[in-house]
Amino acid sequence: MNIGLILMKNKKINAGITVFPGSNCDMDVYYALNDVFNLNVSFLWHKDEFHNFKNYDFIVIPGGFSYGDYLRAGALAARSRIMESIKEYADGGGIVLGICNGFQILLESGLLKGAMLTNKSLKFECKDIYIKNISGNNRNNSHENPFTCLMEKDAILKLPIAHHDGNYFVEKKKLNYLFSSGYIAFQYCNEEGVISDDSNPNGSMENIGGLFGENFNVMGLMPHPERASEKILGSGDGAKIFNSIIYYIKNK
Amino acid sequence: MLTTDNSKSNKSDKVDNNRRNNCTNIIAYGNLPQNKEYVQFGLSFEEYKKINDILQREPDDFELGIFSAMWSEHCSYKSTKMHLKNLPSKGDAVIIGPGENAGVIKFDGDYVLVFKMESHNHPSFIEPFEGAATGVGGIMRDIFTMGARPIANLNSLRFGNFNHPRTPYYLSEVVKGIGFYGNCMGVPTVGGEVVFDSCYDNNILVNAFTIGIAKKDAIFLSSACEAGNLVVYVGSATGMDGINGATMASGEFDASKDKKRSTVQVGDPFTEKLLLEACLEAMDKKLIVSIQDMGAAGLTSSSFEMSENSGKGMILNMDKIPLRATGMTPLDIMLSESQERMLIACEKEKYGELEGIFKKWDLNCVIIGEVTKEKEIQFIYKSKPYHTLPVEAVVNGPSYDRPSAIPLYIKDMKQFLPDEYRMPKNFNSVAERIISHPNISSKHFVYRQYDYQIGTNTIIGPGSSCAVLRYKEFNVSINSTNSAALNSVALTDGLAELTNNSPQPQKDKQEQHHSPQTQKDEQEQQDKIDKIKNNKRGIILNSNCNSKYCHLNPYKGAILAVIECARNISACGGTPVAITDCLNFASPEDPEIMWQFKEVIRGITDAALKFNTPAVSGNVSLYNETAGAGKIYPTPVIAMVGYIDDVNKAVTSDYKDEGDNIYLLGRLRGNLGGSLFMELVHNDFMQEPLSIDINYELKLQSCLRALIDEKLIKSATDISEGGLFTAVTEPALSSNENLGVVVEVHRDTLRNDMILFSEFEQAFVVSSSHSNGNKIYEFAKNADIEIEKIGTVVKDVIKFNNIIELKSDKMKERYYNAVEKLFDKQ
Repeated sequence: MNIGLILMKNKKINAGITVFPGSNCDMDVYYALNDVFNLNVSFLWHKDEFHNFKNYDFIVIPGGFSYGDYLRAGALAARSRIMESIKEYADGGGIVLGICNGFQILLESGLLKGAMLTNKSLKFECKDIYIKNISGNNRNNSHENPFTCLMEKDAILKLPIAHHDGNYFVEKKKLNYLFSSGYIAFQYCNEEGVISDDSNPNGSMENIGGLFGENFNVMGLMPHPERASEKILGSGDGAKIFNSIIYYIKNK
Repeated sequence: MLTTDNSKSNKSDKVDNNRRNNCTNIIAYGNLPQNKEYVQFGLSFEEYKKINDILQREPDDFELGIFSAMWSEHCSYKSTKMHLKNLPSKGDAVIIGPGENAGVIKFDGDYVLVFKMESHNHPSFIEPFEGAATGVGGIMRDIFTMGARPIANLNSLRFGNFNHPRTPYYLSEVVKGIGFYGNCMGVPTVGGEVVFDSCYDNNILVNAFTIGIAKKDAIFLSSACEAGNLVVYVGSATGMDGINGATMASGEFDASKDKKRSTVQVGDPFTEKLLLEACLEAMDKKLIVSIQDMGAAGLTSSSFEMSENSGKGMILNMDKIPLRATGMTPLDIMLSESQERMLIACEKEKYGELEGIFKKWDLNCVIIGEVTKEKEIQFIYKSKPYHTLPVEAVVNGPSYDRPSAIPLYIKDMKQFLPDEYRMPKNFNSVAERIISHPNISSKHFVYRQYDYQIGTNTIIGPGSSCAVLRYKEFNVSINSTNSAALNSVALTDGLAELTNNSPQPQKDKQEQHHSPQTQKDEQEQQDKIDKIKNNKRGIILNSNCNSKYCHLNPYKGAILAVIECARNISACGGTPVAITDCLNFASPEDPEIMWQFKEVIRGITDAALKFNTPAVSGNVSLYNETAGAGKIYPTPVIAMVGYIDDVNKAVTSDYKDEGDNIYLLGRLRGNLGGSLFMELVHNDFMQEPLSIDINYELKLQSCLRALIDEKLIKSATDISEGGLFTAVTEPALSSNENLGVVVEVHRDTLRNDMILFSEFEQAFVVSSSHSNGNKIYEFAKNADIEIEKIGTVVKDVIKFNNIIELKSDKMKERYYNAVEKLFDKQ
C-alpha cells in the first residue's frame, strides 16, 4: 500500500486537542497528528460549548501549564466546563490520551486514580528516558487497548520527559489493585528494560509513567510521544503510541 | 561633555526655542540647589539644568521622574550610543537592524527570523529568581511584539567564583527562574553558557536571548501610529513592582542593595503565555497598527517611544490604567515595570474585534487614550489635564563622549614566555582538574531544568557546540476551535512505522482502485512530500564570550567572542549569518572602562565585517560593579545565528564509533597566555593572549563546512577553554558509549603543556571513519589548510602523548558531577 493511500485513509480519523489557557504542547500534538500522521485534527477551546464529542475518534489533552499550574498542576483545568464533556465522552467509551499536564488533569478530574507530587529532585526535569510497556502482562490483553495494541509485550520506548510534578502517588491498597487489574500501562526503566530506582526520573511509585482508566479507553502518560514521532528528533518511538490509536480506531 | 544627540533630526520648534533661550536660563541656574531630588532620581546637575531648559522652569516630581527614567543609561544609552553607531548593521540578510524591539533577518522563502539578546543583571543580583525569570519574559516580549512566534531561548550566565559561598544560591535560583518562565511559555531553552569567575562575585550577569519566526510581510513595528488611533493597554494590571527599575539598573550597587528589592519586577509566565497567543491572534487578523511592550520604564518608555517612532503624540488617561495596588501616584503608574503588559495602537473601528480576542484570553484590554498629531503626551488624571510633555525632548536624552584612557594593567601586560614557567610534573592531575573545572565540565545540571525540546524543532539540543533547530510551516496563532488546517508538510517517519510493522487491515485491498478523487488526493500528497524535501533548512544558535581574554585585551577578546561563535556554527556545518550583542561593563564614568568599551566595539566591528555577520540588535549593561568590591571584566556576549541548508547533515561534537580516526584541522601555536591552565597551575594568567589571523580563520571554517557538507566527518569541535586536551577528551566523555582516545601530537618548538592546554587555537578536532581519510586530506590540501591524523577513538581510556593516561569512566564521572558538587559543599 502506498503512503498516499494510508495518509488519505488517516484523514478520515477525527482527533481533537483540548486547549486550556496555558496549554503549550497543543501545537506540537497538532503537528504530530496533522502533519506526521495526517489525521483530521481540530483544537477544542476550553470555553466553547460542547454537547458531545461523538464526531471525534479520540481526544488528546496535551501538556503545558494549564492555568499556570496555580493551586495544583491540572486542578483548575479539571474543573473547567470542557472537562464535563470529556468525562461524558470517556464514560461513553471515547478514547482520551492525557500527556504530561494532560495526565495531571485526568488525575485531578478523577478519570484516573492517584495524584502527582513534585519530582523527587524538587526540580524541573527535561531529558530522554525509557519506558516499558507492561500492559498485557495481566488480564488486559495488550492488543485490546487503543494505546499499546501495536506494541510487543515489554516493548521499550525512548521518550522525552519535561515536567516538575511527575512523581506519581497512590495509596498502597489502590496501587495493588491497579497492578492486579492491569491498569499500569508503562513503567520507567533503563535502556535494557530494567525497572529500578536508578531509572526512575521523578520518584514515581513503582516507576509508574503511564496509567489506564477503568475501561482502558483513557490513558495518562507522563513522557511526550509527540516529541518523539520522527527519527530526526532523536527517537521515533512515540509513533508507536499514535499508530496504535490509529490502528485501533480503523479496526474497531 | 554634554552634547545633544542629533541622530534624530526632527526637533520640534518648541524644543529649539528652548535651546535658543539657553543663555537667559543659565543665569537662573546659578541659584539651583545642588542636593535636590534629581540626585535621588539618578540625574546629574547638568542633566537637571537641561530639563529646566526644556521646560523653562523647574520640573515637579512627575516630570523629573519621567525625564530621569527616559534619560537613564538603561533607556537612553547616553554613554554608548555614539560608539554603537560604529557597529556594522547592514548586509544582504538584514531586513531590520538596530532601533526596533529586535533585529530581523531573511531566513527561507517568506520567513524571517527576529532575535535579540538583553541583560537583566542588576535585578538578578538583587533577587535572582524573579530577576532571571523576568529577564527571560522581557526578551520574549520583545520578539512577539514584532509579530514573531518565539521558537528558542539561549541564556548566557556569569556567576562568581564557584568557591564563593553565595554562588550555589545564585546558580540554583537563576536557573530555576529561567526554567520557570521559559518552560511555562512553551519556548525551548536550547543552549547558552554558564561561566564562573571571581570578577562576578558581586555582580552576576544574566543575558537572555530569544529568536522568533515570522512571515516577512507580517512584521509589526512601534512606528506606524496614525493620529486618531486608539491607545490600548493590554495584559496584566499595573502594580508597585519594578518602580524606578531603569534608574536602579543605571547605577552601581552599594551597601543598600537589599533595600532595592522592590525595584525588581515579579513575573507571571502564565499571563505572558496568554498575552503571546492573544497578540499573535490579533496580529494575524490585522487588528493592530502599532505595538510596543512595556519593558524598562514601563508605560513611560512605551508611550513616548511609540509616539517618537511614529512622529506623533498621545493623550493618556491615567484614570483608565488597570491597577492592582491602591494608592499609586501617577508617577508610580508611569514608572511601574509590572510585567506582561503591552501598549497597542489600533484603528477605532477595529477595537471591538481586538477587545474580543483579549477577553477570550481573559486579559485586560482597555482604551487609555488616543494618538494625536501634536508631538506631545498629554496626561489626564482625575478627569483633569495633568501634565503635557514634549515627546522628542524626553526621548532624545543626552549623549556623552566620555573620556577614555588605557588602563595601567594593559600597559604592563607581558608576553607569555615558556621559560618563565616550569612544566607540571603530573599531567594526569592537571587533566583531572581541568575536566572537573565547572567552566569546562558538563552543564546538564543546568539545562535539564529547561524544557529544550518543546516545539519539536530541536534537532541538536544543549550539550553540543551549538543548538540546531529545524522549522515548520505554521499558522502563527491558535484560533479557537476551527483552526485552519496547517496541513503543509507530511513527514513520513511515523507512517513508515505503520506500513512496515503493523498488521495490514484486510479491507484496505478493496479500496485500492483509483477513483479520480483519490488520484487528486495522491497528487496533493506527493506535492506535500516534495515540499518537505525543500524544507530542510536549519537554524544554528550559540552565544559566547571569554571575559578573561577581553580583560587582557578587549580588542582581541571581542574578536574572539565573534569568531568563537562562528567556529561553533561551522563545527555543526552551518554558515554564520548575523549577530546580536549584549555588552556588559562596569561604570562608563571610569575612563579605563570607557577605553575597554571602545576597544570592544572596534573588535566586534572588525570581526563582524570580515565574517559578514552584521549586528542587527543589541543591548548595553553598564555599572556592573559594587562599591568597594570590584568591577566585572568587560563581558561582550555575542549570540550568533547561522544557517545550515540541510539539518540532516548537522554534526555534533561527540565521537560516534570506536576505531574512528581523529584529525587536527588547522594549526597549533601554543600560546598559554590567559589560559585556564595558567590560572589553575601557575595562578597567573595576566599575559597577552594569542592573536587571531581572521583571513586564515575564514579559510579554515569554510574548509570544515565543506567536509561536513560532503558527509566526510562524524564529529567536530573547536579548541576553546582547556585547550587541545579538552577538545579531544570532551567528545569521548559526552558520547553514549564509554569511549576514550589515544592521541599523539608533537611539535619541535612546543612543550607538552603548550600543546595540550593552549586555548583558542585556529584549529578543529574532527573524527571520521578510516575510509574517508584520503578524501579529507585532499579537501584540506585544496583549501590550503594543515591537517594531521593525531589519534584514534578507543574504549575505556584517555591517553595523550604518553604523559596522560586516565580511565574514561572516572573522567566521565568528574565531567558530569563537577557542577552538582558545588552544592555538596554547602
